[in-house]
Order: sequence, then C-alpha cells, then structure tokens
Amino acid sequence: MQDRLKRMQAEGIAEIAQAPDTRALDDIRVALLGRKGALTEILRGLGTAPPDQRPAIGKAANAVKKALEEAIDARKTVLETQVARREARETAVDMSLPGRRPMRGHMHLVPQVAEEILGIFLELGFQAATGPDVETEYYNFDSLNTPPDHPARDLHDTFFVKPGVVLRSHTSPVQMRVMEKHAPPVAVVVPGRVYRNDYDASHSPMFYQIEGLLVDKGVSFADLKGTLLLFIHRFFGPDTEMRFRPHFFPFTEPSAEVDISCSVCKGEGCRLCKNTGWLEILGCGMVHPVVFGYAGYDCETYTGYAFGLGIDRIAMLRHAIDNIHHLYENDLRFLEQF
Amino acid sequence: MRVSLNWLKEFLDIETGVDGLAEKMTMLGLEIESVERPGAEINKVVVGQIVSIEPHPKADKLVVCKTDVGQPQPVQIVCGAKNVRVGDRIPTALDGATLPGAVGIGCRKMRGVESCGMMCSAHELGLGEDHSGLMILEPNAPIGQDIVSHLGLDDAILEVEVTPNRGDWACMIGVARELAALFETPIRVPEVHIAEGAQRAARLSSVTIEAPELCPRYIGRLLSGVQVGPSPSWLCQRLLAAGQRPINNIVDVTNFVLLETGHPLHAFDYDKLSENRIVVRCAKQNETLETLDGQVRKLDSSMLVIADAERPVALAGIMGGHDSEVGESTSRVFLESAYFEPVSIRRTARALGMQTEASVRFQRGADPEMALFAINRAAGLVQELAGAEVAAGLLDEYPNPPAPVEVELRYGRSDDVLGTCVAPREQRGILERLGFVTVRSSDAGCVVRVPSWRHDVSREADLIEEVARLHGYDKIGVTLPTVRQIDEILAPEEAKLRALRRFLVGQGLTEVFNWTFDSAEAVRKCGLPEAYLDMVELQNPISEQNAAMRSTLIPGLLATASRNLRHGNLDLAAFEIGPVYGPAKNDQELPDQYTRLAIALSGRKGTHHWGRAPEPYDFYDLKGYAESALGFFGVYVQFDAADFGPFQSGHCGRASWAGQPLGYLGMVGKEVLRAFETEQAIFLLEFDLDPLLAHRPPPPEFQTVPAYPASLRDMAVVVDASVPAGELEATARQVGGALLKRVEIFDVYSGKQIPEGKKSVAMNLFFQADDRTLKDEETLASWDTILKHLQERYGAQLR
Ligand SMILES: [Zn+2]
Repeated sequence: MQDRLKRMQAEGIAEIAQAPDTRALDDIRVALLGRKGALTEILRGLGTAPPDQRPAIGKAANAVKKALEEAIDARKTVLETQVARREARETAVDMSLPGRRPMRGHMHLVPQVAEEILGIFLELGFQAATGPDVETEYYNFDSLNTPPDHPARDLHDTFFVKPGVVLRSHTSPVQMRVMEKHAPPVAVVVPGRVYRNDYDASHSPMFYQIEGLLVDKGVSFADLKGTLLLFIHRFFGPDTEMRFRPHFFPFTEPSAEVDISCSVCKGEGCRLCKNTGWLEILGCGMVHPVVFGYAGYDCETYTGYAFGLGIDRIAMLRHAIDNIHHLYENDLRFLEQF
Repeated sequence: MRVSLNWLKEFLDIETGVDGLAEKMTMLGLEIESVERPGAEINKVVVGQIVSIEPHPKADKLVVCKTDVGQPQPVQIVCGAKNVRVGDRIPTALDGATLPGAVGIGCRKMRGVESCGMMCSAHELGLGEDHSGLMILEPNAPIGQDIVSHLGLDDAILEVEVTPNRGDWACMIGVARELAALFETPIRVPEVHIAEGAQRAARLSSVTIEAPELCPRYIGRLLSGVQVGPSPSWLCQRLLAAGQRPINNIVDVTNFVLLETGHPLHAFDYDKLSENRIVVRCAKQNETLETLDGQVRKLDSSMLVIADAERPVALAGIMGGHDSEVGESTSRVFLESAYFEPVSIRRTARALGMQTEASVRFQRGADPEMALFAINRAAGLVQELAGAEVAAGLLDEYPNPPAPVEVELRYGRSDDVLGTCVAPREQRGILERLGFVTVRSSDAGCVVRVPSWRHDVSREADLIEEVARLHGYDKIGVTLPTVRQIDEILAPEEAKLRALRRFLVGQGLTEVFNWTFDSAEAVRKCGLPEAYLDMVELQNPISEQNAAMRSTLIPGLLATASRNLRHGNLDLAAFEIGPVYGPAKNDQELPDQYTRLAIALSGRKGTHHWGRAPEPYDFYDLKGYAESALGFFGVYVQFDAADFGPFQSGHCGRASWAGQPLGYLGMVGKEVLRAFETEQAIFLLEFDLDPLLAHRPPPPEFQTVPAYPASLRDMAVVVDASVPAGELEATARQVGGALLKRVEIFDVYSGKQIPEGKKSVAMNLFFQADDRTLKDEETLASWDTILKHLQERYGAQLR
C-alpha cells in the first residue's frame, strides 16, 4: 500500500506538471483528490490493512495528499500567471496613439497679457480701478491738462459721440475719476479698452491699455524708474535693460518714454528695433501739478507718478506677432496658439 | 523734421559722430526716428557736360553722347533720356560707379555701341521721385567735381520727432540751441547784412493791428526791384536736404528762413494791396477770400485776416490770398513776419480744414522775438540773391510786448521730485545754458526769466524737467516706493471677471475679443428686437459697419463664429466677456455701459479622438455651459421656454434670477445663419453679468457628511410629451418629504413602446437619513406619495 501511495504521488506530480491549463489541472485534482479520486480510493481500502500499519499508512496518505495539493497550487500559480501575461499582452495599449485630452480653452492674448501685467502690480500693492469707455472730454482731456485747443489733442484722433463726449483715447481719465473720489494715497492700475480713429495696417481703432498711478508723500521720479524696472524684469526677464527718454505728455512733468533692450538682437540692432537696439514700450512721468489741481490735491504735499502701456504692442513684441489685426480677427488658429 | 548734419554744423561745433549724436539727441527728448546718409551709396559719379549728341545707328530711341567729365578724353555714353541737350551739365556715373540700391555701372555695348557710364536722373541718385529725365545741374557746376560733394550729399539727415510742446525745436536754430546747451558750447547765429535804401518804409506803407490780442506783433518790410530766378546751389542743397524742392530765389528764401528760424513769413505783391497798407483784423461775417490754393473761403468774425484797406488778402498765419500773390509781374514786395495767437490759428485752421506749414508752426507757438530776426534775415538774403532794394526801416507793430514769465526753482524740491541729488550750481547752470536768465538767486533756489521761445515753461515742474533732461534721465537712480493702499475695493468686479475668464477657459471655452463697434444693420441681421437698435452712435466712425457702439455681444460673436466656420475652423466653443452700451438716460451725460457674457457653440464637441466618434453640440451642451457659468456666481437660475429674435422657435429659452431676466439662449435661427453666410448650427447665449457681479453670496455653510448610506429608488412614468420633465422633478422634490435628498432625471425617452404624443421620464430618487439606515417601508411611502402627485397633476402612468 505504501508503494501504491508512492507511485501515485510520483505519477500525480508528473501529470500535474504537464497540465496545459487550469481546467485540465482541475480535472487532475478531482481525479486524484476528489471524492471519487484515487487517493480517496486508497484511504477507503485502509480498513483492509493490518491495524498496526494503519497509522503509518494514514500518515503517508496525508503526506501524499499534501504534496499533491502543493504541486497543484504551484502549477495553478504558474498557469494563472501565464494567462495574465497573455491577456496583458493581448490588451496592451499602443503608446504611439494620442491620449484622450480634456477640452482646453484659450484665454484671448490681450486679456491674458493684461492679466499678467496687472498681477505684477497687484503684487506690489496696487489695486485695480476701472472707468467707462465712453467718456467726457473733461475727463479724457481737460482735467488732464489738455484744454480744447491744446496741440496734444491732435495726437489723439478722437472718436466723438457728441460734443463733450468721446470714446476715451487712453485709460488716463480713470486717474482723475479715482483722485476726485479718494484722498491720497492712491495706488491703482487701470486696465481697459481705448479708442483712436486710426485704422490702417499697423493701427487698430480699438486697443487695450494699462494705466498705473501712484500718489503719496515723497513719490519720486527715481521711484517711477524703480517700479518700472522691476516690472520690466518680471515681465520681459531679468536680463532686459531699460532706458528712460524725455518725452511729452500734457498730464505729466517730467515725462518719459521707456524703451527696453531689443529682445531679438539684444541691442545689436535689427529690423524690429529699427537698428536702435531699443523697443519703446510705454509712456510715463510725474503727475502734472495742474492735474493735481483738478483733483483737488495739494501738489506741494503730494507727488505722484503715472504710466501707461499698450497691451497690444507688448503682446506683439513678446510673441513676435507681425500684424495687430490678428488680435481682433479672432481666428481660432490664432487664438489657440496662446 | 529732417535735420541736415552739415547744416547743423554751421551753427555749432559737433565733435560726436552721427550715431553718438543721434543717441544724445534722443536722450534729450529730440527723438531720432532714422538717420539717412544720402551720399553713402554713391561712388564715382561726377559733374559731366554733354559735348555732342549723335543718333544711335540701330535704335531710334537712343542717342550716343560724348560727355566731358573733366578727364583728357570725353566718355561715350548711350542714353535714352528725352531731355539730352548739348551743353547741359548732368550727374554722370563713370565706369565702376555705384548708385543707391547697389546698382553698379560699367562699360558695355548697347545695341552694338560702346557705352561707358551713365547719365543720371534725380531718382537714380536717390534724390526724390523724378525719373522723367536727366537731372540738369546749374550751368556753372564745376565739370569733373564729385557729385556727392557738389550736391552736398556727404551729409547725414536726422529725422527728428518734435513733440507738440516743443515747437521751438522745429528749426535749425532750435535744435542747435538745445545741442549747444548740452555740449556747453556757443551757438553761431548767422549775421544779417542789409543795405537799406533811401526810401523809408513808413512813407510807403503802414500796419494797423485792430485785434492785438490775436496778433500781438506784426512786422513788415518793403522790397523792390526783385530779380526772380533760380537759387544758388548752397541754398538748393539746404532745401533738398530738408526734403523741399527749390522753386525760385524768393520762395526759396522764405522756405529757407522758415527752416532756419522756425518762423513763417509771407510775401505780398505790394502794388496789389489797396492803399498799399496792411490792416490786421477779424474777418467780417460772410466775407470771402480766395486763398493761394484757389479755394474761395467763407470767413466769419472769429477768424483773423490780414487785410488791405478794403478786403482780406491773407488768412493770418495760415495761407495767403490769391489776388495779392507774388508773381512774375511783381516788382515790389511787402514781406510779413508776425506773431499770431496759437489758439486762434488752430481754431480757424480747423474750421476751414486747412493745415499748412505756417499754421502748424503758429499753433505750436512761434517766437515773437524771432519774428524780427527772421524778417531781417529774409530781407538780407533776398537782397543778396535777387538784387532787391530794401526800404529803410521796419514797420513793427508790437503794442503790448508780453511781460516776461518768471519762474522759481527750489533746488531741494527738484531733488525731491526727481529722487536724486543735483548740485544747485548744476541746476542753475542747466537753465542758463538753455537760455533762461537768472533774475534772483539764493542757496535754496533761483528765479529765472523764461526765454521767448519756451511757451512750454510756466511753472516749477517745467524747470525740474529741464534739470532732469540736461542732467540726464539715465543718471537718476532707481528706488522702490512704499505703496500704501486704501481700505476700499475700487473695482470689485474686476477680480471676479478675471476669475470667470479662467473658469470658462478651464471648461474648454476659448475667449474672443471683438471690437466694441457695431452697426444697426448687424443688429437687424440678427433679428434682434427694436430696443437693440437704440445705439450710441459715433460722429466719426471708421466705417458704416462700425458706426456705433455695440448694444449686444450677439452680432460680433456670430460674425466671429461665421468667419471661423467659413475659414474651415468648424468646431467652435467660444465666449466673450465685455461691455455693451446703451444711450444716456435723461439726466446723464454718459451712455450706460453693461457687462455681458456670450457663449457660442458650433460643430463637434470635445477633442477629436481616434477611439470615439465626435458628437455634434446640441442645445443641452449650451444649457450646461449656461448652468455652469451661472453656478460660478453661486446663484440659482430659472430657465423658461421663450421666443427671442435670433433663435429658432422651440429651441430658445430665457434665464432669470430672482425674477429678473438675465438673457436668452438657444439655437440660432435658419434665417439669421443665412444672413451670416453659414449653414452649420450655432448655439448661442448672452447674459447680463452686472447683477451677478454685484451679488455676494454668503460663503457656503458646512453640511454634515452623511454617516448612513443612501437608498436609491427609480421611478419611470409616461406623460404627455408637452409636460416639461423639469416639472416632474420639481414636484418630486416638493412632495418627497424630508428623507428625499436628491432627484435626478436619468432618462427621457419617446418612441418604441411609448404611445404617440407621450414620453417616458425616468428619475433616480435618493433617500437618506442622518441617524439611521433607511428601511424599505420608509422610502416606499415617499415613493408612493410622489407617484400619486405625478398621476394627479400630470396624468402620469407608471411605466
Ligand atoms: Zn533689435
């Protein structure tokens, strides 16, 4: 009987090792260990064995059972792993195919750049202020030291709604609106649409500006330079150089135009910068005493600076856009680039 | 303004090279826009004289010339110009010459005849547009002389942008003055020599100023025996360099003096002035004047004229009159040099739509002192160049010379404003170099008299700018200010709009940014109601399509959508946020401005993918975006079926919040699509944002996270197709009791198995209690109640 058990174990293990799949393995398990299986058969014949041998045979039978069960489990693991591998191979992803992307929207470049610039000044402690697009001549010109017959009015090809009412030609009227309502200190940035009756290959009759105004005791021209240098370094990069040039605006004195070193040629001179190495980006200056007069501010106690930048121009410079009209044609093939 | 470096060097010594000078001028505020070097590209071109002309044996249109170029032998040149004449002196390019545009000249055969060089037109030398024929030089041009030096082309022309406050810069003396101040070098003003005749001007004519407030100064001089003829080459060179064409010696002198001094002059034919005298007065109502350009101008009493004893003979400071024009028959000239009030000139020029070289100068403010120098300079030159006799004495009416303007500069204030430290001596020195005269001076500051040409200086800030400019903007340091803020949010909507933009972009929408112009026609094209035609109109629009400010975002967004569709961008999910405008209310000065949101969907949704067929947008995608955008503001919005112009009936709804309509959404109607030249369905909405921007919902209050599981029950009922599914849902919510936490419609179906005219609506009902797991009986009771109400109210049948 012991011999039968041994033979059975050897044959069983060999058979298990050959089992091609889990179903065959299951059949083998039933044939060997099932209720009508070979081992059960042997154990059933235990009664015919001499009583003194029975414990030894029982023990041996259990050992065989255990060995067979282990062999089956081991084989099962092997077979299952094989199956899993095959399945994984068959369902493998094609890494060369594109993913299923969520839909992506694009913010228009003009508000995008405006927001970025606004953010820099908000971080410095300025806050946003706004005003109407359709504006009185008083706010757009007169109160900004540009009386009706001032030659500077020729620089702005102004849209008129009716006598005394215009489309604002710059964001500066908001300066006066804020100062009229609030005593100093004032620290505001003003984003908004502005309008000039100038429509050709390089001009759009509507464009976008950001204005800044700081009024407090002791604000100086050096502060203006420092603020704008910080802005330029953050927006255009820390290696960008800044140049202040004297200029004229009716509502600031002294006034300046600000250039940055040309991003294309790094100052060597190229077509973009007309061989000067510099690109003009904004106008600024110290708030004119006459403007403070209109605002009811004491121009002996308070000084202030103001600056205004054209977002369109800055966006075009930074992204090398060759035509302003791309900005307002709203072709998706343009919008989706940014 | 074009500034010739050669000319400039007559006024002061300049040691800097052109590039350095341009940089320095720019840093003074005299911005250099470009530097032109006219002769730089011209090589081996000399003055030649045609000595013979023979016909070309093989070509009718060509001739064979022999030209003396100052060498032992004349050169043979085949030429096709029409104006070849023996004896003329012509710029002649020799063998090996180069011309502007890198044109090379050599010896070659032209139709079989050797041609060695080229005779040039002005255009070929880069001097203007005239290429009609050869450029004829004056008869005494030295043969063989290099043309670059002969024409003064060895020059640099600086194109200067003159800002409107600095009219005094718009002349050679003005620029020279500024540079002299910078370089701390003296300026050489040309000397004037006049040999006055025996006759006294005062006996020949008179000047009466009847409007001294508009014409503070008027100077006249009388010239006779003028020989009109060509100007000498030095004068021509100056004019050419400034971009002006020489005409004759008289005209050229006035132009030259204008360029030199910035002061406009005018010449009258003395014999055509009634009573030979001048009256400066305002025009009489409806008086007329034929100006030099041949136009008859209707004048009014606000306009200043120069008149003779009877009638106007010139529009003061703008343009002369036709009748008193100096012509070939003129023998005696009345020369005018005046100072007119800028505002009056500006108004008249505007009213008549005239802008002349003279009016621009007077508008910016001429120099009443320069008037005297200018007239003497001109008289001297006319005498020298045209052999005129100058009558003795000036007719100089200057009734009330303005009191000199005095301004105080406090050195400490200047340092404070500039945030720097400039020594008092330097500050005062700068002003003096610029022509300011110190009246009083102390350690703390000085009082200076403003020069007559500086109309832009009237207060301390103006002097501080002068200090900063001449000291150098680049020498002022950089500091960062302390930014103090006030306890009030000035534009609370700004931050919300920025967040909304980001939110919508995050949801897959792309932002468009249209012009805010529109037209009534576009509003009509959209089928919008009459109210939208009430637009803020522009008096001077750029075009009919942009004649007014938009009253709605719809036409602009539809046009953008249509343009994209027509350009092959077939899938579009876009939004625009921006202002629209409505006419001013009764008592308001300014129109109303509202902020709106518009969304447009068209084509297929989502990103395209190989593994999934793209689905077209439908109304519910639009409504989803609407709900999502409104959800951003934390408000509950009611949607109702509605009819609205641009939209297809039955595919349109109105959104309202707290009983207030916010706007409409829907599928754009077929006719509107056709009007916008597209066929593809577009889903569009426009909402008012102002009430939402003003709304400040309380921060969301924490709700206990349920500790016990929810029980889910379904209910599917069949109702008439016309019953809004949303009402079934609302009814369920209303009668479902406290345990019913949520109702969701998960299926709406009509078709097979559902009777004609009916639809099946299936809902998920979520029940939940805070303190226990619900038993079936508990939820069933609520379920029964809901069903009962649906049956009673809508005749619903359980499916
Ligand atoms: Zn460059």
